[in-house]
Amino acid sequence: MRKPLLIVIGLLLCLFVSIGIAVAVGSEVTVGEAYRVLWYRVMPTEGPAPDATAERIVWRLRLPRVLLALLAGGGLSIIGIAMQTLVRNPLAEPYILGISSGASAGASLFYLGFLPPFLSKALSLPLAAFLGGLLTITTVYLVAKTRSRLSVARLLLAGVALSALMASITSFVTFASPSPQKVQAVLFWLLGSFASTHWGVLPIPTIATMLSLLLMMALARPLDAMLVGDEPAHSLGVPVEATKRVLIVLAALVTGTLVAASGAIGFVGLIVPHAVRSVVGVTHRRLLPISFLAGALFLLWADLVARILLPSQEVPVGVITAFCGVPFFLVLLRRSEYSFGS
Amino acid sequence: MNGLRSGYLVLILSILLAQGCGGNPETPGRPASATDDLGRTVQLPRTVERVVSLAPNLTEIVFAAGAGHKVVGVTTVDNYPSAVQALPRFGALPLDIEAIVALEPDLILANDDINNPRDTETFEAVGLPTFFFSFQGLDDVSRSIRAVGSLLGTAAHAEAAADSLEAAIAALRARTGGVETRPNTLFLIGDETLYAFGSESYMHTLIELAGGRSTTGTLDTVRPVLSDEFVLTEKPDVIFGAFGASYDPARLLAHHPTWDIVPAIQTGRVYSLDPDLVLRATPRLLDAAQLMARRLHPDLFEPAGTPAALPETP
Repeated sequence: MRKPLLIVIGLLLCLFVSIGIAVAVGSEVTVGEAYRVLWYRVMPTEGPAPDATAERIVWRLRLPRVLLALLAGGGLSIIGIAMQTLVRNPLAEPYILGISSGASAGASLFYLGFLPPFLSKALSLPLAAFLGGLLTITTVYLVAKTRSRLSVARLLLAGVALSALMASITSFVTFASPSPQKVQAVLFWLLGSFASTHWGVLPIPTIATMLSLLLMMALARPLDAMLVGDEPAHSLGVPVEATKRVLIVLAALVTGTLVAASGAIGFVGLIVPHAVRSVVGVTHRRLLPISFLAGALFLLWADLVARILLPSQEVPVGVITAFCGVPFFLVLLRRSEYSFGS
Repeated sequence: MNGLRSGYLVLILSILLAQGCGGNPETPGRPASATDDLGRTVQLPRTVERVVSLAPNLTEIVFAAGAGHKVVGVTTVDNYPSAVQALPRFGALPLDIEAIVALEPDLILANDDINNPRDTETFEAVGLPTFFFSFQGLDDVSRSIRAVGSLLGTAAHAEAAADSLEAAIAALRARTGGVETRPNTLFLIGDETLYAFGSESYMHTLIELAGGRSTTGTLDTVRPVLSDEFVLTEKPDVIFGAFGASYDPARLLAHHPTWDIVPAIQTGRVYSLDPDLVLRATPRLLDAAQLMARRLHPDLFEPAGTPAALPETP
């Protein structure tokens, strides 16, 4: 069984090449120049300093943007897996279940000054988004849960309803605020964009996402057991309820910190895990790292398309992921029975 | 295409005007209909005594055309000239149609940049004629003054106002026409989200008039949102912003920290203007052009003296 390893190596190579392309696409900086700047920043002793304009564009504007896109793609993909394992259904996804909208609502409430700053601004924004996401997913989960089992129809409907409510809250607070750039702000929170990324926004979502990836990797076996069912997992000694709570908090944490940095981007957590499962199967030990890399690659390219689709303006990246994700979602929905393989 | 359309309008209006015997508002031979900038045929009442302006720039143009006394209502955003302070107000976004109907206007003036042509169907349904103006070039301002004068029966006053505006523009053009260097001049509407003027805008004419070269003049999008790297690669020598007269230029660098190598930032040539002066297509665009010309070519104006106390909005 060398296949997963080959896939990981292949994805890493693709990522390396794609980062170079993504950093170079746009105005006047060539691919070679882009790699030269990156190389110079990593190994500052080599050769003459690159052109100051190219350096700023590549290192300070495009690279943080590309890295955030990678992080968001990977993070949303593993949270998609967490949600799908939680409710044992491949249709679950942070955007569809309303976590992203809830996080947007929390973030925009704080951003527009309707919530007091608890800590520093850099921490309060992700915190508000986290709480908004947590509130939403908890509500959705409680609505969908009956005594013995989770109703998928209720789950999706509750997710859609809560999502609409949270999006309305975001729109309302934005229009109620004195901000002169309301439409732009609403678009950012509801459809996502990496356009104004700088290095400063990266640390918090990086920590949250990496922590979640490690924790979920550590929980890989219990998660595998939960796919079979609560009862079998319980009989194998898995603390099912506790693990579910951990998954919910992780989902809110990763989605919240990512939404605070890049707005609500949908359907990544739906497409990527599904595609990866069809190649490497459902075992979390393989599914998680490969989905992380594949999701990173997917969102990197989605952002690239969002940047170049229209002349001299950008499309919100959430529009691109929705174009890809919604048909996918409908096909999955159409299948009456979906099993997690094995 | 627009030039052709405006040409037709001027032609039609001047024919109609000639028939109207010198613009006497009481003359019975006044036009029964006119074609507006959207190509719509608008049925006009015999005399227009009550007019409502749906856009602040049109209010200013009506006053410039000498028909300010006929304005019976303006939007809540209107603030110039000071005579509008006493007038009834209505909300503009969304348009408060009931309040406008209650003002019983003979004619409604609209700007296709701000107002939705769909709203006029409602006005037509209640029998209120709506005349649309379109502003793309600087010459649309004097053209509109003349058109308003003809519509509202103050053609002679409007003609004089338009002539003097055109003369003032020509005078400024003569003054800045011979400058040796035309600084690469970027005009921003937003400081954080970089809204700018794209293709077909009067702003490029304004900058050219002020002796500069517009950075965004060759873009093919009408309302572009610029990226940080666009500004980095274009390297503007001067940045003007519609951020208000009390704006602190340091905030621009705070929003866009990578711009520390942009020439305009390095040489401290970032200037903010009153948005009402530059974002409205009115005769006051000339004031804006003069303010910009002083910033672009200080040597052309006062050799020494009071550069800090530039006249802003009267």
